[in-house]
Amino acid sequence: MTTVPVYRTKWFLPAFSVALGVACAAAFWAGGDGGSAVFALALMTAFGLVFLLGGRSDLVRGLRGDGRDEYWERLDIHATALAGLVLISVVIGMCLWEWAHGRSGEPYTQLGAIAGVAYIAALALLRWRS
Amino acid sequence: MKNEVRALRTERGLSQAQLAEAVKVSRQTINSIEKGRYIPSLPLALALARYFGQTVEEVFDDNGAGV
Repeated sequence: MTTVPVYRTKWFLPAFSVALGVACAAAFWAGGDGGSAVFALALMTAFGLVFLLGGRSDLVRGLRGDGRDEYWERLDIHATALAGLVLISVVIGMCLWEWAHGRSGEPYTQLGAIAGVAYIAALALLRWRS
Repeated sequence: MKNEVRALRTERGLSQAQLAEAVKVSRQTINSIEKGRYIPSLPLALALARYFGQTVEEVFDDNGAGV
């Protein structure tokens, strides 16, 4: 019998959404912003409910992981790469913007450096393992 | 890469969902393979060929591109 990893069950992503909502709410609460805390928790719980109850949709099942096969794995890898590309482009753009306005570029310089180092490390690790 | 998946499936009177269930993938995977938008992994190509009682070369044709 094959065991399904917990992140491939229909419960993982809804539970993760709610947990993230709780973490965001706690952070807002600690910062003295009760309104944003409630909003963050409500928003992330709503996302969790959509993921949990939207199982009729192929896209939702693919996102959740319980409907995922090699085709969805490939989509996931490409979507993750595209999201990373968008993110790093924004980080570089913001870094240039900050420098052009006479500022240090923080925290975009650090984020860009982390992204670059993480990419090279991941490439080296994957090459070493394969 | 061209393939005969749609022809072999319809020959047997199967829906995409039935074939998907037989080889344990999603219906979208079968749909994308049939449209030539997705080239399956070797294990899935083998599973499809075995299911249809054909060789991989009979189901998938790359026109010798990989040689």
